Amino acid sequence: MKGAELKHGDLEGLLKGLLDKGVVDCLVVPHRAGKSVSYMLVTDADKIESAASALFAPSFSVNAANLVKGWTIKEKVGVVAKPCEIRAAVELIKLKQLDNESVLLIATDCSGAYTNQVYTEHYAEIGDQADSAKIKELEGKGLTIRESCAICENRLADVGDIIIATGAGDDLVVAGLTEKGEEALTTLELSLEDKDLERAAEKEEIAAEAKAKLASLPELSSLDALEEFLQDCIVCKNCRDMCPVCYCKECFFEQPLGDPAGGDLLNLAVLRGAVGLPTGQLFYHLTRVYHVSTTCVGCGACEDACPKDIPLTRFYPVITQKVQEIFKYEPGKDVDEPLPFTAYEEEELEECLR
Amino acid sequence: MGEEAKEEFEPKVVGFTCNWCTYAAADLAGTSRKKYPPNSRIIRLMCSARLDPMFVLKVLLNGADGVFFSGCHPGECHYIKGNFYARRRIAAIRTILKQFGLDDRFKSYWISASEGEKFANTMKSLTEEVKQLGPNPMRGKII
Ligand code: SF4
Ligand code: SF4
Ligand code: SF4
Ligand code: FES
Repeated sequence: MKGAELKHGDLEGLLKGLLDKGVVDCLVVPHRAGKSVSYMLVTDADKIESAASALFAPSFSVNAANLVKGWTIKEKVGVVAKPCEIRAAVELIKLKQLDNESVLLIATDCSGAYTNQVYTEHYAEIGDQADSAKIKELEGKGLTIRESCAICENRLADVGDIIIATGAGDDLVVAGLTEKGEEALTTLELSLEDKDLERAAEKEEIAAEAKAKLASLPELSSLDALEEFLQDCIVCKNCRDMCPVCYCKECFFEQPLGDPAGGDLLNLAVLRGAVGLPTGQLFYHLTRVYHVSTTCVGCGACEDACPKDIPLTRFYPVITQKVQEIFKYEPGKDVDEPLPFTAYEEEELEECLR
Repeated sequence: MGEEAKEEFEPKVVGFTCNWCTYAAADLAGTSRKKYPPNSRIIRLMCSARLDPMFVLKVLLNGADGVFFSGCHPGECHYIKGNFYARRRIAAIRTILKQFGLDDRFKSYWISASEGEKFANTMKSLTEEVKQLGPNPMRGKII
């Protein structure tokens, strides 16, 4: 891995350079507006002002990959975002919903994030950036990061074309992970040298904490438990719309069979004696969890999007991890690794058949 | 329906079979007069790969007591590799069903066109196993 050392103050110049030197035609980049942080799509380098205070803000609004999903355009789009968002973008490339040649994926280290509402409300305490010590301290005061972040093992940037890693104090390392990434950094005239971030121990520590947290979550282990969990779901499908890896142009659940109404619904009621209204929560979520079973990056965007406060992290990432385990697949890690459902071994998985 | 005594309980099973192998095996079982329980309703697919795991979910949520799938042995698919892909999908949906204790009601087999006897025996054991499980609790639910 080749990289260069930077300071926080250099970030703005780095991003501006990407546009000015024509490395990308536009950038999707965190954008600070007062206390809150969201994204902007920027083409004019002069508009990049708040980079240093926004890039590492522990706030999650939407998954940035969802913002560029389906953009198979020629112009080159740079995306600067948290690891889970970049991992989702990598899955979208594999799903042919993004063109690898037209994106430059830049992952920033993440400390775990608060929902954007919590972040904005408590900006005075949280500030522009948080490390794990600060996150623990705030937890003592009752401010907790999102559950999906608490169980996330992939907070250190290690995916995409370029990573921006935080070090002690003001130190940063920017490094290229792919040829495309290295080329971009070379164009920016950074003096690149071989870099070994030596973060294995830190990664292990994060993983251990995340695993412990996961194990402490209540498990949904029966159909009754799942039914109760989904009791308040109004099947608004917001969780689908905000999920970066749900991408069907014509979702089954928008069609008469998946979203029965009128006579179709009455037929179901005749068949079963009665149907619940709204209907189909179990079918919708069990189908969706299968659809994202290999590609879910555990970002928690679904949970954030739920107007009924259903803690969907206890369902989606928890279950999809189990499916990913049987295929030994980590979504978003490697753009060249085939999606599990597009590949096979001649002899495998017999234990799954009976 | 829940009150039926277990002895009298006749399960309803939906089966998805591949046209080229298991469906033919079912035919063979019939023409060679092998006896097997009539509890399964079979839906013919052109290949294992047509089995959308959603079918399995839909069938179970709608209250069938069991659901099975059967296709050509791996390596013998009429379309060369359909069942290799199907096997992965089945493994995924089984993992999900297992989480909620539903996997016992979903069976999957490889039965070739010449295995009429295996088909009949499989239907016997399948029906027995589903009988043991009792009626699908989804049947009485308002969902
Ligand atoms: S899921 Fe992981 S990478 Fe994404 S915001 Fe949370 S901690 Fe960061
Ligand atoms: S299912 Fe939820 S956690 Fe998984 S990728 Fe989609 S939005 Fe993120
Ligand atoms: S966002 Fe919440 S209420 Fe809407 S469909 Fe998803 S789980 Fe149900
Ligand atoms: S044709 Fe039978 S499994 Fe493909």
